[in-house]
Amino acid sequence: MPYILNTPEDIEKMLKEIGLSSPEELFNHIPKETKIDDLSLIPERKSELEVSNTLNALAKRNKSINKLNSFLGAGLYDHYVPCALKHLVYRSEFYTSYTPYQPECSQGILQAIYEYQSFICLLTGMDVSNASMYDGATSLAEATSMSLRINKKNTIIVAKSVHPEYREVLDTYFKHSDYSIIEVPYNNDGLIDTNALETLLENNISCLIIQSPNFFGLIEDIHRVSTMIKDKNILLIEVTNPMSLALLKEPKQLGVDIVCGDGQPLGNNLCFGGPTFGFLATKKEYLRQMPGRIVGKTEDSEGNVAFCLTLQTREQHIRREKATSNICSNESLNAIAAAVYLALLGKEGFKNAALYSLNNTHYLIKRLKEIKEVNFPFKTLVFNEFAWRINGAREILKKLEEKNILAGVILDKFYPELKDCILSCCTEKKTKKEMDDFVDTLKEIIHG
Amino acid sequence: MDRKLIFDKPPTSYNNTDFFPPSLPKINNAEEIIPDKFLRKELPLPSLGELDVVRHYTNLSRLNFSVDANFYPLGSCTMKYNPKLNEDIAQKNEFLLLHPYQDEKYTQGALEVMYELNRILCEITGMNQFSFQPSAGAHGELTGMLMIKSFHSLNKEKRYKVIIPDSAHGTNPASSAMCGYETVVVKSTPSGLVDIDELRKKTDSTVAAMMLTNPNTLGLFEEQILDISEILHKKGALLYYDGANFNALMGIAKPSLMGFDVIHLNLHKTFSTPHGSGGPGAAAVGVTKKLCDFLPVPVVDKKGNKFYLKYDIKHTIGRVKSFYGNFLVILKAYIYLLRIGRKGIRRVAYNSVLNANYIKEKLKNHYIPASDKKCMHEVVFSCVKQKNRGASALDIAKRLIDFGIHPPTMYFPLIVKEALMVEPTETESKSTLDNFIKVMIEIDKEIDTNIERIKRAPSTTPVGRVNETKAARFPCLRWEKPGE
Repeated sequence: MPYILNTPEDIEKMLKEIGLSSPEELFNHIPKETKIDDLSLIPERKSELEVSNTLNALAKRNKSINKLNSFLGAGLYDHYVPCALKHLVYRSEFYTSYTPYQPECSQGILQAIYEYQSFICLLTGMDVSNASMYDGATSLAEATSMSLRINKKNTIIVAKSVHPEYREVLDTYFKHSDYSIIEVPYNNDGLIDTNALETLLENNISCLIIQSPNFFGLIEDIHRVSTMIKDKNILLIEVTNPMSLALLKEPKQLGVDIVCGDGQPLGNNLCFGGPTFGFLATKKEYLRQMPGRIVGKTEDSEGNVAFCLTLQTREQHIRREKATSNICSNESLNAIAAAVYLALLGKEGFKNAALYSLNNTHYLIKRLKEIKEVNFPFKTLVFNEFAWRINGAREILKKLEEKNILAGVILDKFYPELKDCILSCCTEKKTKKEMDDFVDTLKEIIHG
Repeated sequence: MDRKLIFDKPPTSYNNTDFFPPSLPKINNAEEIIPDKFLRKELPLPSLGELDVVRHYTNLSRLNFSVDANFYPLGSCTMKYNPKLNEDIAQKNEFLLLHPYQDEKYTQGALEVMYELNRILCEITGMNQFSFQPSAGAHGELTGMLMIKSFHSLNKEKRYKVIIPDSAHGTNPASSAMCGYETVVVKSTPSGLVDIDELRKKTDSTVAAMMLTNPNTLGLFEEQILDISEILHKKGALLYYDGANFNALMGIAKPSLMGFDVIHLNLHKTFSTPHGSGGPGAAAVGVTKKLCDFLPVPVVDKKGNKFYLKYDIKHTIGRVKSFYGNFLVILKAYIYLLRIGRKGIRRVAYNSVLNANYIKEKLKNHYIPASDKKCMHEVVFSCVKQKNRGASALDIAKRLIDFGIHPPTMYFPLIVKEALMVEPTETESKSTLDNFIKVMIEIDKEIDTNIERIKRAPSTTPVGRVNETKAARFPCLRWEKPGE
């Protein structure tokens, strides 16, 4: 039997020790009304080779983006992952270990996570980071809970230009509670409507959630927004793409209180949406309200440097219903991948990944501007993605697909008012040829 | 050994930046595209060569215990072997480089995996439909409890309490609290099962649900499960199954037949996917018919031969995560089930329960079992006898490390004094168990012969006992540039 080492003789000996004669007797005390008699609908076991063949056949029914010319982004981005990364992250000393509750035999994991926390602090300018959350959307929900605990107010303001799926998750987390969520519209430039925001800044507002670069790729003027809410005891939560922080100003310097988002761009693959990881970082005054695990540096009995999980009195296994969150398992391996990615790319490499993404995106915008049928719903102060409009967008996307081009995400499924708008993204992996092919093919489609 | 942080390594002169070429003939500086006020002044990251980084993280990895290198009987965590086939297949580009916003025609293979896994899990558990969106057990609990909350709200019922046994995982009360529920604790009987009389007293029309782990955290099957379910259902409350310990029952008994309405299964426990130093996991949340209309969106369905993401669920609680779940974890669980097959799942339960009972039998004269009942997949010992002689559960746990064995879960469940919770899993051999038993007896003897050695343990690890109190008192949570 695969993965089971006890031989029939072992089993017999062990049963005898326990005083039983068959393994079924181990389950004698289970009410027979609850027992399964028929498992016939579950497949028979297969050899490794057969399963491998079955899965290879299934895999062939997917067409992954390495076989397509893809401009899909919208929260997950196809950045280049150096080969060395998987050789390190997939060392079984990392991936087959549990949460490092026993620090003496988990120093490697603990140090790697401590380095991860440090990397996140360096990118965001924040004082403290936790050891990871599930993904960007849940890290936002947790950041929001944090804010509600910190100032004990009851209303959440969220910009409509925050990722629609993140807002959906936020809604799921809070709709059954006494908290209310207000959405702030975007203005004609696709940015948070500060006039509308101004009218919403009442006493009961706990936090303002803004994303930058926002869902349309646009860079928000976070500093302006943070100035607006200053002295109102409202926390500013920013959702961001960590890759953009290679170039953009540290959120803390802009007046952000909690920064969160999906860490996928840092060395994690698309994986059909998961696993990725969420990051969450904040100022040190909010440390005790931070959810999730945290690694700290300390020393051992001899005074050597050592690491361990710390401040666990915030967590569910100690505090139970009074914990800052219910999170237990997080996405450690993905967070470790982020640390390894940043270490491998280093200052120059990381900056270049972001800079080439930026250049490609603006090159594609420039080329699309050649087409008079294409227009842009917003200004284009963007990082790595942008919205554009063309009549009959759905039909055009289909025709591009026939030429193996995935031009982007249709926006009206999230924003009905943005009819015929498409969100397209470029990473450093896009070649000039791929971008030119896209634009040239689009021209052909339009002009027949 | 060099324990420098990656940030303290001397920069190498070679600029390690050519992982990808400049994508355009001319690369503009950020300043030429983005106004200065939005740009950062410096990017304080290391500049190291590839070998520097490879050696750093390789050396770090070697400081860890892992399932691949060590017996890891960590109770409640099901640290079974993680088959390499799962990992290899999950690394295929067709799965790795799939974007969630690709049209369904490009992702049929991935959707089929989710569809088929749902089918098998429904068969094993008796549930009607699973959602794979939650990222971990606790996330599954939150999802399940939100569905329960929606269910009661729809029926215009004001129920604000959730019953949780005193032996429960901390995530249960924490998840309930996130849904705004008040926790009501029911105590366990001296033999370690839910106190039915107390449950009956505490169950009234204000109770929304009970969260129950079965086998419970003492490793015991709740023999009165049918009574428990009846007590709750009679009062209109629902029963939530925390599937952390499902390994003991897989292929043997069905949660649906026990009366559970919502369940979560930890794919990273029962279904062999690795724990990854603490994650990623994945929870499959299954419901019986009456709760199908509340599942998170989307779920995978099939029309003709075509798999698709179904968003049309009448009373859906919404999304609990972006996209569709931790897909690679879901994939690995599916591969595992195909590999072990229908007989295999039952063998998993047999051997996990057999292994735990064997350990219990062989150690019961040395360490006090927390219950005199037959255990399931894990056995909890109380080290009170050892504590009285000077060695606490913690001391014993730390001493085990010197023998290359990862310590069992310590001081949990909270209702057992000096608890060590041992879960050997089915993938360990008798000889590994015999060695563990031998070591445990040796440590027990050592208390009388060389207690100092136990108190000093571990002495074979890169660091000795870590000062956790200092870490909490003087938090140092990140590297800082010298002088800052």
